[in-house]
Amino acid sequence: MSSSTRYITSMGELSRKDNSLIFRNDKGHKYIPIEGVKVIYCLNEVSINSKLLDFLARNKIIVHFFNYYGYYSGTFYPKEAYISGKVTIAQVKKFEENRLEIAKAIVKGIGINIYEVLYHYYKHGYKELKPLLNWLNKETGIILNKLDNIKQVLYLEGSIWKRFYETFPIYLPEDFMFNKRVKRPPDNPMNALISFGNSMLYTKVISQLYKTHLNQGISYLHEPFESRFSLSLDISEVFKPVIVYKTIFELVNNKKIQVNKHFEKQLNYCLLNENGRKIFIENFEKRLESSFEHSKLKRKVTYNTAIKLEGYKLIKNLVEGEKFIPFNLKEKI
Amino acid sequence: MKLDKNYNYAFVFYDIQEKRVNKVFKICKKYLEHHQKSVFRGKISPSQILKLEKELKKVIDEKYDYVSFVLMVNEYNFFEHSLGECKEDELFI
Repeated sequence: MSSSTRYITSMGELSRKDNSLIFRNDKGHKYIPIEGVKVIYCLNEVSINSKLLDFLARNKIIVHFFNYYGYYSGTFYPKEAYISGKVTIAQVKKFEENRLEIAKAIVKGIGINIYEVLYHYYKHGYKELKPLLNWLNKETGIILNKLDNIKQVLYLEGSIWKRFYETFPIYLPEDFMFNKRVKRPPDNPMNALISFGNSMLYTKVISQLYKTHLNQGISYLHEPFESRFSLSLDISEVFKPVIVYKTIFELVNNKKIQVNKHFEKQLNYCLLNENGRKIFIENFEKRLESSFEHSKLKRKVTYNTAIKLEGYKLIKNLVEGEKFIPFNLKEKI
Repeated sequence: MKLDKNYNYAFVFYDIQEKRVNKVFKICKKYLEHHQKSVFRGKISPSQILKLEKELKKVIDEKYDYVSFVLMVNEYNFFEHSLGECKEDELFI
């Protein structure tokens, strides 16, 4: 497991001590070596002062904050270390001139990765998946080529996800059924898992794109006016089936996460409890740190690095005009 | 120190005279986890090992002090057996 990411799950105070970090609470204290740490997650109430933020910024450490309910609340994003006007201009130019190219590539990537994930279940005897697999494999590509505005592309993306959700009853246990995707707040265990997983992935993408020269405000599939790092939303899209959903399916099907043990259910919402969150994060990290043989680089690459490579690919497309093919689980690119 | 392999895990033991021991402790704390009174250990990259060594060299008096590094390729190639309780938890705090 990578030690460059630290998760703070208990309440306390994080501060600077002798050029390093210390986390204190009523149970005691723990030193965190500053060298090597790149990202810190605060999943509980953590007190912080500006002296610490300055110190973190100097060491280029990103801090993600989640609130009491496990919602993503924001990121401490130190002064950008990698700024390139050239890339920013290329990003804007691409957005104005040929936004569809990237948006279509991303939607195609989502389709391919969902296909790969579902094919696993098809192979293991769930033959009902056949029609959707055919649709993903043959038709989405054809439909996509005909589209000529962004609204239609977004509509197709939406229907891919919708059809994907509709397959859940086929291979997931009954207590994890859900009617439809509900966010803010999620209303049942499955929605809670998806919401938490997606926001974790989003933060992972932010941390990785921080290491590239990309401007995270300019996006192609999502509207870039959402006052968020919308490029990270774009990039995280193709990784969702591979990282979030695969983790969820594994946890649910192997009964590592159970409805009555790991959720807090209240009037109209449902959330992961602390223990559930820990289990999810552990497995999520494991999946991100697992590696595959990259077919172009000819060496082993972790999924976490693949996210960064995705950024490099986009830069190549913007600056040198190389075709942008999002991460593809089948071809391992 | 010349490294012939990529070492990514380290144990650091030290015997330092009292007036300098705190300085050494503070330096080690930046890079590694405090394991026992004068033992640090943890994941560390090859370049950080060199940095750590350089910082330590500035502080210690080589006539009286002694620091030893045990380097591993990774944390999986040794077997650890211990008595008593250890509170370490890598991922979560």
